[in-house]
Amino acid sequence: MMDEKLEKLKKEYMDLSIPEELDYVVRKALKKSGLNIMSKKSIIKRISIAAASIAAVFVVLTVGVNTSPVFAETISKIPIVGNIVKVLTFKEYNINEDTFNSNIKVPAIHGLENKTLENSLNEKYLQEGKKLYEDFQADMKKGKETGGGHLGINSGYEVKTDNDRILSIGRYTVNTVGSSSTEMKYDTIDKKNEILITLPSLFKDDNYVDIISENIKQQMVEQNKADNQKFYWVEGIEQDGMSELFEKISGEQNFYINAEGKLVISFNKYEVAPGYMGIVEFVIPTDVISDILVSNEYIK
Amino acid sequence: MGEGSLAKQITDYIIKNKESHYRLAFSYVKNSDDALEVVQESIYKAISTMNTLKTPEYLQTWFYRIVINTAIDLLRKYKKIVVMDDETIARYDSGTVDHYEDIDLQKALDNLPIQYHSVIVLRFFEDLKIEEIAVILDENVNTIKTRLYKSLRMLRIQMND
Repeated sequence: MMDEKLEKLKKEYMDLSIPEELDYVVRKALKKSGLNIMSKKSIIKRISIAAASIAAVFVVLTVGVNTSPVFAETISKIPIVGNIVKVLTFKEYNINEDTFNSNIKVPAIHGLENKTLENSLNEKYLQEGKKLYEDFQADMKKGKETGGGHLGINSGYEVKTDNDRILSIGRYTVNTVGSSSTEMKYDTIDKKNEILITLPSLFKDDNYVDIISENIKQQMVEQNKADNQKFYWVEGIEQDGMSELFEKISGEQNFYINAEGKLVISFNKYEVAPGYMGIVEFVIPTDVISDILVSNEYIK
Repeated sequence: MGEGSLAKQITDYIIKNKESHYRLAFSYVKNSDDALEVVQESIYKAISTMNTLKTPEYLQTWFYRIVINTAIDLLRKYKKIVVMDDETIARYDSGTVDHYEDIDLQKALDNLPIQYHSVIVLRFFEDLKIEEIAVILDENVNTIKTRLYKSLRMLRIQMND
């Protein structure tokens, strides 16, 4: 009989096993999309709670990494300034076990005369890579004890700009727990003077925060006008949820200098827009900041 | 009613019914990772289009519609499906009884064209009314009735009843 068959199908449908991550994925999505039962006043608090819970899950998730990190495998060599300064993969941590996967590539900069700078950057990269690996191992262990779940971490780097003057390296970390979150961090080096360029160091005074922020807000609204799929949490775009609106960049906001010598400000996934927007970047037109730049050496 | 209380209702609904949404998503994408992705994406979409929800009574049909569309979008991205119109599907329905004696039920259901799959899942597994299904799938009631009839017939044929 048809009825019996349908009953059987329905039973199969209802008996589907529900992964443990579901609850986390749902709650995270709710938090990240800014809809929450908490009042508007507690939004900032809520965001930091969200961040904390993500960190916690991150730890839970970081599970198996293989035990013998490949040492100094030169996966990519990027020649810079007549092959003197190079970025290469210093260490790689991999785990490949059924539902647990990690791939962590630790970059290292070689060939700077300024060894203090070189060492401090490389040490930072190594510590971060090691931390990711150890966290993943701990999470994998927990994951195994509780019977599974898909956990993954993928971390690596990309050279954003490499010309005579500037080396910009971006390091990314993608955390997968059913869904994924992505983080990006940048370092920009002046290869000629061998110094690390910070955002404040580019400008005469602190006004850059407001000037750049205003420009980004304009760009957000314009992009949204041109394409309503491009959605940002900003005044000037009709908001559906109760997300905290973007006010201004932080003084140490993520940035790099692109090959055209333009300043690019970067925001992590969920920082200023819903998750589907991913990492978002804004190229700041140089004429907007030309009055406040210390010099035109880096930014053109 | 303020936006806050609607937001709260949506949040409560999403948390309470997460398993149903996961099952529904899974019935399309057939694996856990993708089903989770669909659930997550649906929440983002739902919240960014909260103002399209007229009244909380329609919460379920509204959200199911988002889940199904998100799942189909994902399948489309993977090029796992081609959405066919009803006439094209009708051509697949030869009207004769084929014999697939050992094919299992699940396979029979999985082999249905996507629109027919939707109707079966919503009507028989989720126990929704024809009218609600029509809203979810954005079709008129008669189309849904026809599809339901045809999908049962196709299942029966495949299952060699």
